[in-house]
Amino acid sequence: MEQKPYEKVLKLLLIVVITLLFFFPIYWIVTMAFKPFPEWTAAGGKIYWFPNHPTIDNFRAIFSQKLEMSPISGTAIRPIFNSLVVSVIGTCIAMVVGVFAAYGISRYKAGGSLPFMLLQLRMFPPIAIIIPIMIMWAFLHMTDTWYGLSLIYGVVTLPFSVWLMKTFFDDIPRELDEAAIVDGCSNIGAFFKVVMPLAKGGIASSALFVFILNWSDFLIALILTDRKWTTIPVHISKLQSALVGALYGPKAALGLIALIPPVFFGILIQKYLVRGLTFGAIKK
Amino acid sequence: MDAARFGFLMILPALIMLLFIVIFPLLASIYLSLSKWSPLTGGGTRWFQAYQFWGWLSNYWNIIRDPDFLMALLRTFIIVIVVVPVEFFIGLVLAFLFRESFPGKKIFHSILLMPMMVVPAVAGFIFYMLFQGQGPVNEALSKLFFHEVSVLWLQGNISAMIAIMIADIWQWSPFMFLILLSGIMSLPEDQINAALILGASGWQRLRMVILPLMKPVIVISLIFRGMEAVKIFDSIWLMTSGGPGTATESISVYMYKHGFKYLKWSWVAAGGVIVLIIITLISMQALKPIKEREEQSA
Repeated sequence: MEQKPYEKVLKLLLIVVITLLFFFPIYWIVTMAFKPFPEWTAAGGKIYWFPNHPTIDNFRAIFSQKLEMSPISGTAIRPIFNSLVVSVIGTCIAMVVGVFAAYGISRYKAGGSLPFMLLQLRMFPPIAIIIPIMIMWAFLHMTDTWYGLSLIYGVVTLPFSVWLMKTFFDDIPRELDEAAIVDGCSNIGAFFKVVMPLAKGGIASSALFVFILNWSDFLIALILTDRKWTTIPVHISKLQSALVGALYGPKAALGLIALIPPVFFGILIQKYLVRGLTFGAIKK
Repeated sequence: MDAARFGFLMILPALIMLLFIVIFPLLASIYLSLSKWSPLTGGGTRWFQAYQFWGWLSNYWNIIRDPDFLMALLRTFIIVIVVVPVEFFIGLVLAFLFRESFPGKKIFHSILLMPMMVVPAVAGFIFYMLFQGQGPVNEALSKLFFHEVSVLWLQGNISAMIAIMIADIWQWSPFMFLILLSGIMSLPEDQINAALILGASGWQRLRMVILPLMKPVIVISLIFRGMEAVKIFDSIWLMTSGGPGTATESISVYMYKHGFKYLKWSWVAAGGVIVLIIITLISMQALKPIKEREEQSA
Protein backbone atom coordinates (compact mmCIF):
# COMPACT_ATOMS: atom_id res chain seq x y z
CA MET A 1 0.00 0.00 0.00
CA GLU A 2 1.42 3.37 -1.06
CA GLN A 3 1.36 5.99 1.61
CA LYS A 4 2.44 9.59 1.62
CA PRO A 5 5.21 10.31 4.14
CA TYR A 6 3.09 12.74 6.17
CA GLU A 7 0.42 10.06 6.52
CA LYS A 8 2.96 7.70 8.01
CA VAL A 9 4.17 10.33 10.47
CA LEU A 10 0.59 11.18 11.42
CA LYS A 11 -0.22 7.55 12.11
CA LEU A 12 2.91 7.06 14.18
CA LEU A 13 2.05 10.18 16.14
CA LEU A 14 -1.44 8.84 16.82
CA ILE A 15 0.01 5.55 18.05
CA VAL A 16 2.45 7.34 20.35
CA VAL A 17 -0.27 9.54 21.85
CA ILE A 18 -2.67 6.63 22.46
CA THR A 19 0.10 4.50 23.94
CA LEU A 20 1.15 7.28 26.30
CA LEU A 21 -2.44 7.78 27.44
CA PHE A 22 -2.81 4.09 28.13
CA PHE A 23 0.54 3.86 29.84
CA PHE A 24 0.01 6.81 32.17
CA PRO A 25 -2.05 4.99 34.86
CA ILE A 26 0.63 2.31 35.08
CA TYR A 27 3.32 4.97 35.25
CA TRP A 28 1.34 6.58 38.06
CA ILE A 29 1.13 3.48 40.25
CA VAL A 30 4.81 2.64 39.67
CA THR A 31 5.99 6.12 40.65
CA MET A 32 3.48 6.32 43.49
CA ALA A 33 4.99 3.18 44.99
CA PHE A 34 8.39 4.89 45.22
CA LYS A 35 7.24 8.26 46.53
CA PRO A 36 7.97 9.22 50.13
CA PHE A 37 5.07 10.09 52.43
CA PRO A 38 4.94 13.87 51.82
CA GLU A 39 4.75 13.27 48.07
CA TRP A 40 1.98 10.70 47.97
CA THR A 41 -0.30 12.21 50.54
CA ALA A 42 -3.09 14.23 49.02
CA ALA A 43 -3.06 16.78 51.81
CA GLY A 44 -0.29 18.96 50.38
CA GLY A 45 -2.34 19.94 47.38
CA LYS A 46 0.73 19.73 45.20
CA ILE A 47 1.17 17.08 42.58
CA TYR A 48 4.45 15.28 42.09
CA TRP A 49 4.57 14.01 38.52
CA PHE A 50 7.60 11.92 39.38
CA PRO A 51 9.17 10.98 42.73
CA ASN A 52 11.62 13.72 43.71
CA HIS A 53 13.07 11.66 46.49
CA PRO A 54 12.55 8.03 45.51
CA THR A 55 12.41 5.67 48.46
CA ILE A 56 11.42 2.12 49.29
CA ASP A 57 9.67 3.18 52.50
CA ASN A 58 6.29 2.08 51.13
CA PHE A 59 7.53 -1.43 50.54
CA ARG A 60 9.10 -1.45 53.98
CA ALA A 61 5.79 -0.27 55.44
CA ILE A 62 3.71 -3.07 53.94
CA PHE A 63 6.20 -5.69 55.08
CA SER A 64 6.72 -4.36 58.59
CA GLN A 65 4.88 -6.08 61.41
CA LYS A 66 2.58 -3.16 62.10
CA LEU A 67 1.97 -0.25 59.80
CA GLU A 68 2.82 2.90 61.68
CA MET A 69 0.07 4.87 60.01
CA SER A 70 -2.53 2.18 60.06
CA PRO A 71 -4.49 0.17 62.58
CA ILE A 72 -4.03 -2.93 60.44
CA SER A 73 -1.64 -5.32 62.03
CA GLY A 74 0.15 -7.96 60.08
CA THR A 75 2.28 -7.71 57.03
CA ALA A 76 1.58 -8.19 53.37
CA ILE A 77 3.68 -11.36 53.41
CA ARG A 78 0.72 -13.49 54.40
CA PRO A 79 -1.67 -12.12 51.72
CA ILE A 80 1.01 -12.55 49.06
CA PHE A 81 1.57 -16.12 50.21
CA ASN A 82 -2.20 -16.69 50.29
CA SER A 83 -2.71 -15.30 46.80
CA LEU A 84 0.01 -17.59 45.47
CA VAL A 85 -1.33 -20.68 47.24
CA VAL A 86 -4.99 -20.32 46.32
CA SER A 87 -4.27 -19.18 42.75
CA VAL A 88 -1.91 -22.09 42.10
CA ILE A 89 -4.17 -24.73 43.66
CA GLY A 90 -7.24 -23.25 42.00
CA THR A 91 -5.40 -23.40 38.69
CA CYS A 92 -4.45 -27.04 39.27
CA ILE A 93 -8.06 -27.97 40.02
CA ALA A 94 -9.38 -26.17 36.93
CA MET A 95 -6.66 -27.63 34.72
CA VAL A 96 -6.88 -31.28 35.85
CA VAL A 97 -10.67 -31.36 35.65
CA GLY A 98 -10.64 -29.20 32.50
CA VAL A 99 -8.08 -31.25 30.56
CA PHE A 100 -10.02 -34.49 31.08
CA ALA A 101 -13.35 -32.89 30.25
CA ALA A 102 -11.94 -31.13 27.18
CA TYR A 103 -10.54 -34.41 25.88
CA GLY A 104 -13.84 -36.18 26.45
CA ILE A 105 -15.68 -33.41 24.62
CA SER A 106 -13.18 -33.08 21.78
CA ARG A 107 -12.76 -36.79 21.01
CA TYR A 108 -15.85 -38.55 22.30
CA LYS A 109 -18.40 -35.73 21.97
CA ALA A 110 -19.30 -36.51 25.57
CA GLY A 111 -21.45 -34.27 27.71
CA GLY A 112 -23.81 -32.94 25.03
CA SER A 113 -24.31 -29.27 25.82
CA LEU A 114 -21.83 -29.24 28.70
CA PRO A 115 -19.51 -26.74 26.95
CA PHE A 116 -22.37 -24.27 26.65
CA MET A 117 -23.50 -24.78 30.19
CA LEU A 118 -19.97 -23.81 31.15
CA LEU A 119 -20.14 -20.64 29.06
CA GLN A 120 -23.46 -19.81 30.63
CA LEU A 121 -21.89 -20.31 34.04
CA ARG A 122 -19.22 -17.78 33.09
CA MET A 123 -21.87 -15.18 32.31
CA PHE A 124 -23.54 -15.32 35.71
CA PRO A 125 -22.41 -12.56 38.03
CA PRO A 126 -20.81 -14.44 40.94
CA ILE A 127 -22.63 -12.20 43.39
CA ALA A 128 -25.96 -13.71 42.26
CA ILE A 129 -25.14 -17.11 43.73
CA ILE A 130 -22.48 -16.24 46.28
CA ILE A 131 -24.82 -16.19 49.30
CA PRO A 132 -25.84 -19.84 49.03
CA ILE A 133 -22.21 -20.70 48.34
CA MET A 134 -21.25 -18.82 51.47
CA ILE A 135 -23.88 -20.71 53.44
CA MET A 136 -22.64 -23.97 51.99
CA TRP A 137 -19.02 -23.11 52.73
CA ALA A 138 -19.87 -22.20 56.33
CA PHE A 139 -21.69 -25.52 56.69
CA LEU A 140 -18.68 -27.45 55.34
CA HIS A 141 -16.26 -25.32 57.40
CA MET A 142 -14.58 -24.08 54.23
CA THR A 143 -14.91 -20.33 54.81
CA ASP A 144 -11.55 -18.60 55.20
CA THR A 145 -9.56 -21.70 54.27
CA TRP A 146 -7.14 -22.35 51.42
CA TYR A 147 -9.14 -25.29 50.11
CA GLY A 148 -12.44 -23.44 50.20
CA LEU A 149 -11.14 -20.54 48.15
CA SER A 150 -9.08 -22.75 45.80
CA LEU A 151 -12.09 -24.93 45.08
CA ILE A 152 -14.32 -22.04 44.10
CA TYR A 153 -11.53 -20.58 41.95
CA GLY A 154 -11.22 -23.93 40.23
CA VAL A 155 -14.92 -23.92 39.42
CA VAL A 156 -15.08 -20.30 38.30
CA THR A 157 -12.19 -20.72 35.85
CA LEU A 158 -13.24 -24.19 34.66
CA PRO A 159 -15.04 -22.79 31.57
CA PHE A 160 -11.77 -21.28 30.36
CA SER A 161 -9.65 -24.35 30.95
CA VAL A 162 -12.20 -26.59 29.20
CA TRP A 163 -12.62 -24.33 26.18
CA LEU A 164 -8.93 -23.60 25.80
CA MET A 165 -7.92 -27.24 26.04
CA LYS A 166 -10.75 -28.27 23.75
CA THR A 167 -9.40 -26.04 20.98
CA PHE A 168 -5.90 -27.44 21.53
CA PHE A 169 -7.15 -31.02 21.37
CA ASP A 170 -9.22 -30.22 18.27
CA ASP A 171 -5.98 -29.10 16.60
CA ILE A 172 -4.21 -32.41 17.26
CA PRO A 173 -5.06 -34.82 14.41
CA ARG A 174 -7.37 -37.47 15.80
CA GLU A 175 -5.73 -40.06 13.52
CA LEU A 176 -2.81 -40.08 15.96
CA ASP A 177 -4.71 -41.40 18.97
CA GLU A 178 -6.89 -43.61 16.76
CA ALA A 179 -3.75 -45.23 15.37
CA ALA A 180 -2.43 -45.79 18.88
CA ILE A 181 -5.69 -47.47 19.90
CA VAL A 182 -5.58 -49.70 16.81
CA ASP A 183 -2.04 -50.63 17.80
CA GLY A 184 -3.35 -51.96 21.08
CA CYS A 185 -3.16 -48.91 23.31
CA SER A 186 -6.04 -48.40 25.74
CA ASN A 187 -8.14 -45.20 25.62
CA ILE A 188 -6.34 -43.85 28.63
CA GLY A 189 -3.00 -44.97 27.27
CA ALA A 190 -3.57 -43.11 24.01
CA PHE A 191 -4.51 -40.01 25.96
CA PHE A 192 -1.46 -40.03 28.24
CA LYS A 193 1.17 -41.37 25.84
CA VAL A 194 0.16 -39.77 22.54
CA VAL A 195 -2.04 -36.72 23.04
CA MET A 196 -0.74 -35.28 26.30
CA PRO A 197 2.89 -34.92 25.15
CA LEU A 198 1.65 -33.04 22.06
CA ALA A 199 -0.58 -30.76 24.14
CA LYS A 200 2.13 -29.82 26.66
CA GLY A 201 2.59 -26.30 25.34
CA GLY A 202 -1.14 -25.73 25.25
CA ILE A 203 -1.56 -26.98 28.80
CA ALA A 204 1.22 -24.73 30.08
CA SER A 205 -0.18 -21.59 28.48
CA SER A 206 -3.75 -22.41 29.51
CA ALA A 207 -2.55 -22.88 33.06
CA LEU A 208 -0.83 -19.49 33.05
CA PHE A 209 -3.99 -17.94 31.68
CA VAL A 210 -6.16 -19.50 34.38
CA PHE A 211 -3.61 -18.45 36.99
CA ILE A 212 -3.95 -14.80 35.91
CA LEU A 213 -7.72 -15.01 36.27
CA ASN A 214 -7.48 -16.49 39.77
CA TRP A 215 -4.83 -14.02 40.82
CA SER A 216 -7.06 -11.13 39.69
CA ASP A 217 -10.11 -12.07 41.71
CA PHE A 218 -11.34 -9.62 44.32
CA LEU A 219 -15.05 -10.20 44.98
CA ILE A 220 -14.94 -13.90 45.86
CA ALA A 221 -11.98 -13.50 48.21
CA LEU A 222 -13.66 -10.49 49.78
CA ILE A 223 -16.69 -12.59 50.67
CA LEU A 224 -15.21 -16.02 51.39
CA THR A 225 -12.18 -15.00 53.43
CA ASP A 226 -11.99 -13.26 56.72
CA ARG A 227 -8.65 -12.95 58.44
CA LYS A 228 -6.28 -15.79 57.69
CA TRP A 229 -6.71 -16.25 53.95
CA THR A 230 -7.24 -12.73 52.62
CA THR A 231 -5.58 -12.28 49.25
CA ILE A 232 -3.60 -9.32 47.92
CA PRO A 233 -6.51 -7.40 46.34
CA VAL A 234 -8.51 -7.65 49.56
CA HIS A 235 -5.50 -6.58 51.61
CA ILE A 236 -5.00 -3.56 49.33
CA SER A 237 -8.59 -2.48 49.81
CA LYS A 238 -8.15 -2.66 53.57
CA LEU A 239 -4.98 -0.60 53.79
CA GLN A 240 -6.63 2.42 55.34
CA SER A 241 -5.70 4.64 58.19
CA ALA A 242 -7.93 6.68 60.45
CA LEU A 243 -5.41 9.52 60.39
CA VAL A 244 -4.34 9.77 56.75
CA GLY A 245 -7.20 7.98 55.03
CA ALA A 246 -6.24 5.80 52.09
CA LEU A 247 -2.58 4.88 52.30
CA TYR A 248 -1.77 5.63 48.67
CA GLY A 249 1.93 4.87 48.87
CA PRO A 250 1.73 1.45 50.56
CA LYS A 251 -1.35 0.51 48.50
CA ALA A 252 0.51 1.39 45.33
CA ALA A 253 3.54 -0.62 46.47
CA LEU A 254 1.44 -3.72 47.08
CA GLY A 255 -0.52 -3.08 43.88
CA LEU A 256 2.74 -2.99 41.97
CA ILE A 257 3.72 -6.35 43.45
CA ALA A 258 0.32 -7.71 42.44
CA LEU A 259 0.82 -6.52 38.86
CA ILE A 260 4.09 -8.27 38.23
CA PRO A 261 2.97 -11.90 37.68
CA PRO A 262 -0.04 -11.22 35.43
CA VAL A 263 1.71 -8.61 33.31
CA PHE A 264 4.76 -10.81 32.89
CA PHE A 265 2.83 -14.01 32.11
CA GLY A 266 0.23 -12.14 30.12
CA ILE A 267 2.70 -10.74 27.64
CA LEU A 268 4.42 -14.12 27.50
CA ILE A 269 1.25 -15.92 26.45
CA GLN A 270 -0.56 -13.17 24.51
CA LYS A 271 -1.19 -15.48 21.55
CA TYR A 272 -3.06 -17.89 23.80
CA LEU A 273 -4.88 -15.07 25.52
CA VAL A 274 -6.70 -14.43 22.26
CA ARG A 275 -7.91 -18.00 22.10
CA GLY A 276 -8.82 -18.16 25.76
CA LEU A 277 -10.73 -14.93 25.80
CA THR A 278 -12.69 -15.78 22.67
CA PHE A 279 -13.36 -19.36 23.74
CA GLY A 280 -11.41 -20.57 20.75
CA ALA A 281 -13.10 -18.47 18.08
CA ILE A 282 -9.75 -17.52 16.61
CA LYS A 283 -7.62 -20.49 15.74
CA LYS A 284 -3.89 -20.04 16.05
CA MET B 1 -13.41 -49.79 27.95
CA ASP B 2 -15.87 -48.72 25.28
CA ALA B 3 -15.63 -45.23 23.88
CA ALA B 4 -18.89 -43.80 25.19
CA ARG B 5 -18.15 -44.87 28.74
CA PHE B 6 -14.60 -43.57 28.58
CA GLY B 7 -15.83 -40.21 27.26
CA PHE B 8 -18.34 -40.01 30.07
CA LEU B 9 -15.71 -40.79 32.69
CA MET B 10 -13.53 -38.01 31.31
CA ILE B 11 -16.20 -35.36 31.78
CA LEU B 12 -17.48 -36.80 35.06
CA PRO B 13 -15.33 -34.65 37.40
CA ALA B 14 -16.43 -31.49 35.59
CA LEU B 15 -20.07 -32.56 35.83
CA ILE B 16 -19.78 -33.28 39.54
CA MET B 17 -18.19 -29.89 40.14
CA LEU B 18 -20.94 -28.16 38.22
CA LEU B 19 -23.67 -29.98 40.10
CA PHE B 20 -21.98 -29.27 43.41
CA ILE B 21 -21.46 -25.59 42.77
CA VAL B 22 -24.42 -24.67 40.58
CA ILE B 23 -27.35 -26.88 41.38
CA PHE B 24 -27.23 -26.65 45.16
CA PRO B 25 -26.70 -22.88 45.33
CA LEU B 26 -29.45 -22.39 42.78
CA LEU B 27 -31.94 -24.44 44.77
CA ALA B 28 -30.85 -22.79 48.02
CA SER B 29 -31.26 -19.38 46.39
CA ILE B 30 -34.79 -20.15 45.27
CA TYR B 31 -35.63 -21.57 48.71
CA LEU B 32 -34.26 -18.53 50.55
CA SER B 33 -35.81 -16.08 48.13
CA LEU B 34 -39.28 -17.38 48.97
CA SER B 35 -38.78 -16.65 52.66
CA LYS B 36 -38.17 -13.53 54.69
CA TRP B 37 -35.25 -15.06 56.52
CA SER B 38 -32.09 -13.11 57.28
CA PRO B 39 -29.19 -13.83 59.62
CA LEU B 40 -30.58 -11.09 61.87
CA THR B 41 -34.17 -12.29 62.16
CA GLY B 42 -33.60 -15.98 61.67
CA GLY B 43 -30.87 -16.65 64.17
CA GLY B 44 -27.36 -16.86 62.79
CA THR B 45 -26.73 -19.67 60.38
CA ARG B 46 -29.94 -21.66 60.61
CA TRP B 47 -30.86 -20.75 57.06
CA PHE B 48 -32.49 -24.13 56.46
CA GLN B 49 -35.20 -23.13 58.91
CA ALA B 50 -36.16 -20.30 56.60
CA TYR B 51 -39.57 -21.96 56.13
CA GLN B 52 -40.51 -20.52 59.49
CA PHE B 53 -40.34 -17.12 57.86
CA TRP B 54 -42.11 -18.13 54.68
CA GLY B 55 -43.09 -15.21 52.50
CA TRP B 56 -43.95 -16.70 49.10
CA LEU B 57 -43.23 -14.12 46.42
CA SER B 58 -43.12 -11.08 48.66
CA ASN B 59 -39.39 -10.55 48.10
CA TYR B 60 -39.85 -10.66 44.35
CA TRP B 61 -42.82 -8.37 44.48
CA ASN B 62 -40.95 -5.88 46.65
CA ILE B 63 -37.61 -5.97 44.87
CA ILE B 64 -39.06 -5.29 41.42
CA ARG B 65 -40.60 -2.16 42.92
CA ASP B 66 -37.39 -1.09 44.63
CA PRO B 67 -36.11 1.94 42.72
CA ASP B 68 -32.52 1.23 43.81
CA PHE B 69 -32.68 -2.27 42.31
CA LEU B 70 -34.21 -1.05 39.08
CA MET B 71 -31.72 1.79 38.84
CA ALA B 72 -28.84 -0.62 39.44
CA LEU B 73 -30.13 -2.79 36.58
CA LEU B 74 -30.55 0.23 34.31
CA ARG B 75 -27.13 1.59 35.27
CA THR B 76 -25.43 -1.73 34.55
CA PHE B 77 -27.18 -1.76 31.20
CA ILE B 78 -26.02 1.81 30.46
CA ILE B 79 -22.44 0.98 31.43
CA VAL B 80 -22.45 -2.00 29.06
CA ILE B 81 -23.92 -0.16 26.08
CA VAL B 82 -21.51 2.75 26.53
CA VAL B 83 -18.21 1.05 27.32
CA VAL B 84 -18.42 -1.93 24.96
CA PRO B 85 -18.85 0.11 21.74
CA VAL B 86 -16.21 2.64 22.82
CA GLU B 87 -13.76 -0.15 23.63
CA PHE B 88 -14.58 -1.77 20.31
CA PHE B 89 -13.94 1.46 18.42
CA ILE B 90 -10.61 2.17 20.15
CA GLY B 91 -9.56 -1.45 19.65
CA LEU B 92 -10.47 -1.31 15.96
CA VAL B 93 -8.56 1.93 15.34
CA LEU B 94 -5.50 0.53 17.09
CA ALA B 95 -5.75 -2.78 15.24
CA PHE B 96 -5.75 -0.95 11.91
CA LEU B 97 -2.80 1.20 12.93
CA PHE B 98 -0.92 -1.97 13.85
CA ARG B 99 -1.49 -3.67 10.50
CA GLU B 100 1.57 -2.03 9.04
CA SER B 101 5.04 -2.22 10.45
CA PHE B 102 6.64 0.80 12.08
CA PRO B 103 9.64 1.38 14.33
CA GLY B 104 9.17 0.04 17.86
CA LYS B 105 5.99 -1.86 17.01
CA LYS B 106 6.68 -4.69 19.45
CA ILE B 107 7.26 -2.35 22.37
CA PHE B 108 4.12 -0.31 21.66
CA HIS B 109 2.17 -3.53 21.32
CA SER B 110 3.34 -4.84 24.70
CA ILE B 111 2.65 -1.54 26.47
CA LEU B 112 -0.83 -1.34 24.99
CA LEU B 113 -1.66 -4.83 26.26
CA MET B 114 -0.61 -4.06 29.83
CA PRO B 115 -3.87 -2.53 31.13
CA MET B 116 -5.85 -5.72 30.57
CA MET B 117 -3.35 -7.70 32.68
CA VAL B 118 -3.71 -5.28 35.59
CA VAL B 119 -5.63 -6.81 38.49
CA PRO B 120 -9.06 -5.09 38.25
CA ALA B 121 -9.07 -4.14 41.92
CA VAL B 122 -5.68 -2.48 41.47
CA ALA B 123 -7.01 -0.71 38.37
CA GLY B 124 -9.87 0.59 40.51
CA PHE B 125 -7.40 1.90 43.05
CA ILE B 126 -5.25 3.55 40.34
CA PHE B 127 -8.25 5.43 38.96
CA TYR B 128 -9.36 6.28 42.46
CA MET B 129 -6.03 8.13 42.81
CA LEU B 130 -6.17 9.68 39.36
CA PHE B 131 -9.64 11.12 39.82
CA GLN B 132 -9.05 12.73 43.22
CA GLY B 133 -9.97 16.41 43.48
CA GLN B 134 -6.28 17.29 43.56
CA GLY B 135 -5.30 14.38 41.36
CA PRO B 136 -3.44 14.24 38.08
CA VAL B 137 -6.56 14.23 35.90
CA ASN B 138 -7.68 17.64 37.11
CA GLU B 139 -4.12 18.90 36.98
CA ALA B 140 -3.68 17.73 33.40
CA LEU B 141 -7.02 19.24 32.36
CA SER B 142 -6.02 22.52 34.01
CA LYS B 143 -2.82 22.62 32.00
CA LEU B 144 -4.64 21.66 28.81
CA PHE B 145 -7.27 24.39 29.09
CA PHE B 146 -5.09 27.01 30.81
CA HIS B 147 -7.84 27.23 33.35
CA GLU B 148 -8.07 25.83 36.87
CA VAL B 149 -10.12 22.61 36.73
CA SER B 150 -11.11 21.12 40.07
CA VAL B 151 -13.92 18.66 39.47
CA LEU B 152 -14.69 16.41 42.40
CA TRP B 153 -15.02 13.47 40.03
CA LEU B 154 -15.94 10.73 42.45
CA GLN B 155 -18.32 12.91 44.47
CA GLY B 156 -20.65 13.84 41.62
CA ASN B 157 -23.39 11.50 40.41
CA ILE B 158 -22.62 11.80 36.72
CA SER B 159 -18.89 12.52 36.92
CA ALA B 160 -18.39 9.41 39.06
CA MET B 161 -20.13 7.31 36.42
CA ILE B 162 -17.89 8.87 33.76
CA ALA B 163 -14.80 8.12 35.85
CA ILE B 164 -15.88 4.49 36.26
CA MET B 165 -16.53 4.16 32.55
CA ILE B 166 -13.14 5.67 31.72
CA ALA B 167 -11.45 3.18 34.05
CA ASP B 168 -13.27 0.32 32.31
CA ILE B 169 -12.44 1.65 28.85
CA TRP B 170 -8.80 1.97 29.85
CA GLN B 171 -8.67 -1.57 31.11
CA TRP B 172 -10.57 -3.34 28.35
CA SER B 173 -9.87 -1.48 25.09
CA PRO B 174 -6.56 -3.40 24.95
CA PHE B 175 -8.61 -6.61 24.97
CA MET B 176 -10.55 -5.45 21.91
CA PHE B 177 -7.28 -4.42 20.30
CA LEU B 178 -5.71 -7.83 20.91
CA ILE B 179 -8.69 -9.77 19.55
CA LEU B 180 -9.34 -7.52 16.56
CA LEU B 181 -5.67 -7.36 15.61
CA SER B 182 -5.38 -11.13 15.51
CA GLY B 183 -8.64 -11.14 13.55
CA ILE B 184 -7.23 -8.72 10.98
CA MET B 185 -3.94 -10.56 10.75
CA SER B 186 -5.69 -13.82 9.92
CA LEU B 187 -7.59 -12.31 6.97
CA PRO B 188 -6.72 -13.62 3.52
CA GLU B 189 -4.38 -11.01 2.04
CA ASP B 190 -5.43 -11.65 -1.56
CA GLN B 191 -9.06 -10.64 -1.09
CA ILE B 192 -8.03 -7.27 0.28
CA ASN B 193 -5.54 -6.83 -2.54
CA ALA B 194 -8.21 -7.77 -5.09
CA ALA B 195 -10.41 -4.98 -3.76
CA LEU B 196 -7.44 -2.65 -3.98
CA ILE B 197 -6.87 -3.53 -7.63
CA LEU B 198 -10.55 -2.99 -8.38
CA GLY B 199 -10.02 0.54 -7.16
CA ALA B 200 -11.76 0.44 -3.81
CA SER B 201 -10.95 3.35 -1.52
CA GLY B 202 -9.68 2.78 2.02
CA TRP B 203 -13.13 3.27 3.50
CA GLN B 204 -14.77 0.97 0.95
CA ARG B 205 -12.18 -1.73 1.61
CA LEU B 206 -12.91 -1.47 5.30
CA ARG B 207 -16.68 -1.51 4.99
CA MET B 208 -17.15 -3.95 2.11
CA VAL B 209 -14.27 -6.38 2.53
CA ILE B 210 -12.45 -6.27 5.85
CA LEU B 211 -15.31 -5.86 8.32
CA PRO B 212 -17.56 -8.52 6.74
CA LEU B 213 -14.65 -10.96 6.73
CA MET B 214 -13.98 -10.19 10.38
CA LYS B 215 -17.59 -10.59 11.44
CA PRO B 216 -17.16 -13.81 13.46
CA VAL B 217 -14.28 -12.30 15.44
CA ILE B 218 -16.17 -9.05 16.01
CA VAL B 219 -19.26 -10.89 17.23
CA ILE B 220 -17.26 -12.98 19.68
CA SER B 221 -15.34 -10.01 21.04
CA LEU B 222 -18.55 -8.04 21.62
CA ILE B 223 -20.27 -10.99 23.32
CA PHE B 224 -17.32 -11.65 25.57
CA ARG B 225 -16.84 -8.03 26.60
CA GLY B 226 -20.57 -7.60 27.09
CA MET B 227 -20.86 -10.58 29.37
CA GLU B 228 -17.88 -9.56 31.46
CA ALA B 229 -18.99 -5.91 31.63
CA VAL B 230 -22.34 -6.96 33.12
CA LYS B 231 -20.45 -8.26 36.16
CA ILE B 232 -18.63 -4.98 36.85
CA PHE B 233 -17.83 -4.73 40.56
CA ASP B 234 -14.15 -4.41 41.51
CA SER B 235 -13.43 -1.04 39.95
CA ILE B 236 -16.67 0.52 41.22
CA TRP B 237 -16.14 -0.83 44.72
CA LEU B 238 -12.60 0.55 44.89
CA MET B 239 -13.45 3.90 43.30
CA THR B 240 -16.78 4.91 44.81
CA SER B 241 -18.25 1.91 46.69
CA GLY B 242 -21.39 2.66 44.71
CA GLY B 243 -21.56 6.23 45.97
CA PRO B 244 -22.26 9.06 46.20
CA GLY B 245 -25.37 7.56 47.79
CA THR B 246 -26.40 4.91 45.32
CA ALA B 247 -25.45 6.89 42.21
CA THR B 248 -22.91 4.39 40.84
CA GLU B 249 -24.30 1.09 42.09
CA SER B 250 -24.13 -1.60 39.44
CA ILE B 251 -26.20 -4.71 39.97
CA SER B 252 -23.26 -6.51 41.60
CA VAL B 253 -22.56 -3.58 43.93
CA TYR B 254 -26.24 -3.35 44.86
CA MET B 255 -26.37 -7.04 45.73
CA TYR B 256 -23.09 -6.92 47.65
CA LYS B 257 -24.30 -3.99 49.73
CA HIS B 258 -27.67 -5.53 50.50
CA GLY B 259 -26.18 -8.93 51.22
CA PHE B 260 -23.21 -7.97 53.34
CA LYS B 261 -23.93 -4.53 54.72
CA TYR B 262 -27.64 -4.84 55.40
CA LEU B 263 -27.64 -8.67 55.68
CA LYS B 264 -30.86 -8.97 53.67
CA TRP B 265 -30.05 -12.45 52.40
CA SER B 266 -33.44 -13.59 51.23
CA TRP B 267 -33.86 -10.24 49.48
CA VAL B 268 -30.56 -10.67 47.67
CA ALA B 269 -31.45 -14.29 46.86
CA ALA B 270 -34.59 -13.04 45.11
CA GLY B 271 -32.54 -10.41 43.27
CA GLY B 272 -30.04 -13.11 42.31
CA VAL B 273 -32.77 -15.33 40.85
CA ILE B 274 -34.12 -12.40 38.81
CA VAL B 275 -30.63 -11.56 37.53
CA LEU B 276 -29.97 -15.20 36.64
CA ILE B 277 -33.21 -15.34 34.65
CA ILE B 278 -32.37 -12.14 32.77
CA ILE B 279 -28.81 -13.28 32.03
CA THR B 280 -30.00 -16.72 30.90
CA LEU B 281 -32.48 -15.16 28.49
CA ILE B 282 -29.82 -12.82 27.09
CA SER B 283 -27.10 -15.45 26.93
CA MET B 284 -29.27 -17.92 25.04
CA GLN B 285 -29.40 -15.33 22.27
CA ALA B 286 -25.83 -14.15 22.69
CA LEU B 287 -24.23 -17.58 22.63
CA LYS B 288 -25.96 -18.57 19.39
CA PRO B 289 -23.06 -17.56 17.14
CA ILE B 290 -20.64 -19.69 19.19
CA LYS B 291 -23.03 -22.63 19.08
CA GLU B 292 -23.43 -22.35 15.32
CA ARG B 293 -19.68 -22.24 14.83
CA GLU B 294 -19.27 -25.38 16.93
CA GLU B 295 -21.97 -27.21 15.00
CA GLN B 296 -20.36 -26.26 11.70
CA SER B 297 -16.96 -27.54 12.72
CA ALA B 298 -18.39 -30.72 14.24
